[in-house]
Amino acid sequence: NREEPRTRPHCGITHARNPHAVSTMSPAGCPHVSGFKVDNWKQNLRVIYQCFVWSGSAETRKRKAKSCICHMCGAHLNRLHSCLYCVFFACFAKKHIHEHAKSKRHNLAIDLLYGGIYCFVCQDYIYDKDMEQIAKEEQRKAWKMQGVGVLQTHTHTHTQTHTKYSTWEPTKRELELLRHNPKRRRITSNCTIGLRGLINLGNTCFMNCIVQALTHTPLLRDFFLSDRHKCEMQSNSCLVCEMSQLFQEFYSGHRSPHIPFRLLHLVWTHARHLAGYEQQDAHEFLIAALDVLHRHCKDDNGKKANNPNHCNCIIDQIFTGGLQSDVTCQVCHGVSTTIDPFWDISLDLPGSSTPFWPLSPGGDGSALNGESHTTGATTLTDCLRRFTRPEHLGSSAKIKCSGCHSYQESTKQLTMKKLPIVACFHLKRFEHSAKLRRKITTYVSFPLELDMTPFMASSKESRMNGQYQQTVDPFNNDNKYSLFAVVNHQGTLESGHYTTFIRQHKDQWFKCDDAIITKASIKDVLDSEGYLLFYHKQFLEYE
Amino acid sequence: MSKDSRMRATINQKLTEMGERERLKELLRAKLTECGWKDQMKAHCKEVIKEKGLEHVTVEDLVVEITPKGRALVPDSVKKELLQRIRAFLAQHAT
Repeated sequence: NREEPRTRPHCGITHARNPHAVSTMSPAGCPHVSGFKVDNWKQNLRVIYQCFVWSGSAETRKRKAKSCICHMCGAHLNRLHSCLYCVFFACFAKKHIHEHAKSKRHNLAIDLLYGGIYCFVCQDYIYDKDMEQIAKEEQRKAWKMQGVGVLQTHTHTHTQTHTKYSTWEPTKRELELLRHNPKRRRITSNCTIGLRGLINLGNTCFMNCIVQALTHTPLLRDFFLSDRHKCEMQSNSCLVCEMSQLFQEFYSGHRSPHIPFRLLHLVWTHARHLAGYEQQDAHEFLIAALDVLHRHCKDDNGKKANNPNHCNCIIDQIFTGGLQSDVTCQVCHGVSTTIDPFWDISLDLPGSSTPFWPLSPGGDGSALNGESHTTGATTLTDCLRRFTRPEHLGSSAKIKCSGCHSYQESTKQLTMKKLPIVACFHLKRFEHSAKLRRKITTYVSFPLELDMTPFMASSKESRMNGQYQQTVDPFNNDNKYSLFAVVNHQGTLESGHYTTFIRQHKDQWFKCDDAIITKASIKDVLDSEGYLLFYHKQFLEYE
Repeated sequence: MSKDSRMRATINQKLTEMGERERLKELLRAKLTECGWKDQMKAHCKEVIKEKGLEHVTVEDLVVEITPKGRALVPDSVKKELLQRIRAFLAQHAT
């Protein structure tokens, strides 16, 4: 606690205005700080930061409020500075601190607002590495005390601290890497980085189409391009490593099609049911790929991701949602609820052998999602409404009710409990019932932007008898999604071909047909049949 | 000191004491970033630095150049919101 003016050896330098005094800034500060950096200067500087710049505790705040005024004019604003050599506060704007510096020959002052160190000889703020270090530490301490910033949970110690976002500063190693790799890529609005064709290795379009969707999933791309996967598998068969390689290939800038033979081999190794050169189902491949990636990932603590409830791997973070199933006893109206994780939502289509609930065209949900009903076509929202409708389980499927202690008729209803960041909708076009195997080619209209609010478990209460009376909250952005990839299947069940539309930048779409990439219009995308629809949350929140 | 500036000093003292000043600063930072003001200022700074030359420009040069523009470009909605916050705070803690 500084109470009396300290005597310090002075630099003995005049403060005459010297136009040549300003030199290039270096982390060594300026030569004039040496006079200050003596004895217990570090501790003294810390005290100044704690008491007068970044006051963390109530006590220091009170002191700051009282004492931080200009000793000459009493102002508390005007860029107040504190002399580093004695207890003197004065404003910068009115040059009161300058007068003090000149008369006392105290050549250093600190800005009480931002903590910068001003040298009156150099006539500018200087950046001394040691002093900067102290400043940073004190600032972080104060933030912690104030509870400023984003709450971060440390899974290791199960503690929570507030960490404020601070801009990235490269480490020595990173600077080295940047110097040795001088090539820079500029991402402009019309650049095609990230677009690359894939060679078909023999009916492998089912794999290619999914790879295109995954390499254009923004969060997944960011994860792999920032090298976040630390592999702990001993063998060379880690699929996550291969995905990482794949992203490097896609964003390398090479325009020739990539040959994914290693990926195919790994898929055959880890998902035997997909091996062979026959055409496989793209949806099955997606689920198998996510499953293997999830198994090969480790969560933050390096533990194996074998606990489905506590996995924190990137796959779970992006793709896993929670599906709530409510079974209501028709007699006592007791509800039994379970929540199961899901990676995709499989939707029945009209024309399938399962009864498609006759819905009147239009209705609240569709209006919300702006789907067109001009042709009376079924919409994605119709399918979702059907998926989340209460279903009478019938007298042949009675459930044991824990309330009634007997078997009763009940209704079952599915709703979304937790939405994933990437929602994948699977339109069940391939029917494999005992009677027939066929492809349902019914056109289903899907929107560019989707609001999942009507299908949430929390929205259930406002639904009565299938009539969706939902007041839309325009400020709630949690459930809004944007379309970013569409996988299509052309042809028949026996012989068909998969292609993918992917979104690049905000409004540019491209069609990926194995090795051929072509520009596509939004109309092309929305008019397509649609088999797998990939939507990305519009707004992400910190945990 | 005039009555006006004395009142300002008192309000500032109260805000600092209760930690509200820091919270308001954070709110202001967030708002000014959201509306693009921070990016505008950054761009203007770059222009000034280009003009004066990296070797010779001082913090003071930048302050003098961008303060008037910065003040003028703060959106009215942000000013309103902060004033509201301060009023509410003072009403709550009136002695």
